Amino acid sequence: MDPLPQDPTVEAEGRYFDGVSARPHPVRLHLDARFRVTGREIAKDWDPLDLRAEDSVPPLMRVGPAHAPDRVEFSNAALAATLTARCPDLHRREGAGGAVRLVLWSVAAGISVLLVAVFGVPYVARLLVPLVPDSVEARLGAVVEPQVVRVLGHPPACTGEAGRAALDRLVSRLVAARRPDGSLPADLAVSVRRHEMANALALPGARVMLLSGLIARATTPDEVAAVLAHELGHVHTRDPTRALIQASGTSFLLSLVLGDFTGSTVIVAVGEALLSAGYSRDAERAADAYAVEMMARAGGNGAALADILERIAADDGPRGTLDLLRSHPLTTERAAAIRALAGPSASGRQILPEKEWGALKGICATTERSSDRSRTP
Amino acid sequence: MSIAMTEARPGSAPQGVSVTFDTTFRGLTRLALKGILLSLVTFGIYRFWYVTDLRRFFWSRTTIDGSPAVYTGTGKELFLGFLVALVLLVPIYLGLFAISLAIPALAPASVAISFVSLFVLGQYALYRGRRYRAMRTLWRGIRLGQDGSALGYAARAAGWWLLVYLSFGLAFPFMRASQERYRINHTLVGTSRLTSEARGRSVLGPWLLLYLVGLGIPIGFGVALLVASDFSLPSDLMVPKPGGKAGETILNPAYAGTAIGRLANALFFAALICLPAAFMLIPYYRAREARAFAGAVRLGGVRLASTLRARAFYGPYIRYVLSLVGLMLVLGLGGVLLALAARQVNFSFIHWFIVLGYVIMAPLGAVLYVRLVRARLWAAVATSLTVLNSEDLSAILASARGAGSGLQEGLADALDVGGALQIGL
Ligand SMILES: [Zn+2]
Repeated sequence: MDPLPQDPTVEAEGRYFDGVSARPHPVRLHLDARFRVTGREIAKDWDPLDLRAEDSVPPLMRVGPAHAPDRVEFSNAALAATLTARCPDLHRREGAGGAVRLVLWSVAAGISVLLVAVFGVPYVARLLVPLVPDSVEARLGAVVEPQVVRVLGHPPACTGEAGRAALDRLVSRLVAARRPDGSLPADLAVSVRRHEMANALALPGARVMLLSGLIARATTPDEVAAVLAHELGHVHTRDPTRALIQASGTSFLLSLVLGDFTGSTVIVAVGEALLSAGYSRDAERAADAYAVEMMARAGGNGAALADILERIAADDGPRGTLDLLRSHPLTTERAAAIRALAGPSASGRQILPEKEWGALKGICATTERSSDRSRTP
Repeated sequence: MSIAMTEARPGSAPQGVSVTFDTTFRGLTRLALKGILLSLVTFGIYRFWYVTDLRRFFWSRTTIDGSPAVYTGTGKELFLGFLVALVLLVPIYLGLFAISLAIPALAPASVAISFVSLFVLGQYALYRGRRYRAMRTLWRGIRLGQDGSALGYAARAAGWWLLVYLSFGLAFPFMRASQERYRINHTLVGTSRLTSEARGRSVLGPWLLLYLVGLGIPIGFGVALLVASDFSLPSDLMVPKPGGKAGETILNPAYAGTAIGRLANALFFAALICLPAAFMLIPYYRAREARAFAGAVRLGGVRLASTLRARAFYGPYIRYVLSLVGLMLVLGLGGVLLALAARQVNFSFIHWFIVLGYVIMAPLGAVLYVRLVRARLWAAVATSLTVLNSEDLSAILASARGAGSGLQEGLADALDVGGALQIGL
């Protein structure tokens, strides 16, 4: 490849720039074993191996020594071709290339971020939850609830007076029946909203939201009470707060990597993640056990939890992203575990008298529309 | 190096050289496709290298007086700058979040607080990003530069936007001109300083046209509505839609046929037609602004002139939309054919086809956007320019200042403001 001494000489006209001023100097270019630039008071003698070309559109070529600022420009195809043939490093760029290495590194980085999101964030969230003071958790609930209401499409709150009284009695019976170590926050707030979906949600700050679809699908008061008790189980273990920390951490981490870092998307993602992503299977099993025991101590039928989950599963199957079954997948083992915990004698019991059950069913007969709309941004 | 130049100077008549751009775009499609695909598989990390390649491409194909511009930035610098910006941003985000939690009274305003602080930060980042691009740009070996303060620029932007808000948008062209003057007056080519004579007046006409179409007509109907109702709109003008979702409202049928009802309906239709029409006028305004501002740039005796036409800004968008529609038709047709075939085979096949279509559409759309919009807009602006009194370009001298920090553009990327190819640097 080395240029031989008898290499043909190529000559062309060009413009020389000294790198200090923008003034062009007309020069004559002369390439043989060396690259010579001659003009009025200009005489450069460069080694072709030192030459580097800057990006340009052919036939224009802009070349100069790698470690000096002066350059020549010329538009001569023959000289450009000869120069390209004789200077192996002409188009070399410091720090260029390495795309494969970059891809491998970033794939590795991406996988490690994913691993952190999948395993690290839940672990950190579990560690953090006991450190969150109640007052902060209450405020978190106040921030999250409007988001959840928005995602659900602003369902109106149900405020039927008799139904509300029946619900309050049911909640206080359940709370009174908790185990000594099954503490629940004092500011527990259970609300009902008119929505055709059969679901119940536990939010941070001891907020539980029942959707009227669930009450409509229940055949006994124990079924509503058991789902409510299940959500109280989540409240007791502060699963919603943990899920919130986990969802924020994960979406923060992912938006960090994916470059969408506008903050607002994180907040929106949290609301949706909280609704669609369920808790871990262990958390669900614990909440089931909590619910069955609470029902038994309150004199209700704990097996009703399995009944209503089975009914919803048989009627709908997992439909939307916000479905109860999406966050609480019903397996035969789960239903069997619930029934085993409840025992054979549970099915005869009923937690509310028929009259109060009727009132609870009618809680959404009258609703107020405007109050929740004014609260949401 | 001192070289005595005794060249014969041409007469004092203004001499123009044109700015050229290679509009064959050879190699651009490959570059864009590679960049987008690699960005996809690297979780977006490759985008810094992709942006660098794009800039090298566009810089090197733009020549002034025969000499191409050189971009010397690297993907590594952009990536490191992004990482540093993240380190700065995480506490800011956490702080904003903590404020809304710690002071419940501020919680309703937290969205506004976040928006304002991120806006100011975004302007700061834009100015720093511009400084990075300037310092990585060379022409004939002369490095560009930018002084001035990014904080000052952000403060000016905040003040101007407040003024624009208070003046119902009428101050907008004056803000644009003022910020353009700040940017250009702090831009250096070697030791020479660019100056701008941009005036808001020069783009007031196009802006007023856009303003009148978009806001004037609806506001006119709104005022007429107020006058017709003696400045007290009936509170039951809007009623909840019967059977509709919460939040859905319709015009109270009781007002149908009255002057108020007709005006309210006219207001709805005006808003429905005028806002998209104003949107369609944005390229026209942008083109007029680019022409006026380019013509206001001076460098000593050198000045720029632009012949940019508005249609040069419409063509790229129209071609892009048409190609997207064509692409979707082709893919849709393929989908229908496959769906017909899949009826005998397997139903879940269609889901895979939709996923496949998306995987094909997204990169292709991005490539088309670079090729048909970005490149064409750049070409339109560049080739419309003429450098007048170009013999004074020879007086430009390189400055001693170095290339500056490589971390300055990271914040703009982390905040998702600015783009790879800000036309006009
Ligand atoms: Zn659960």
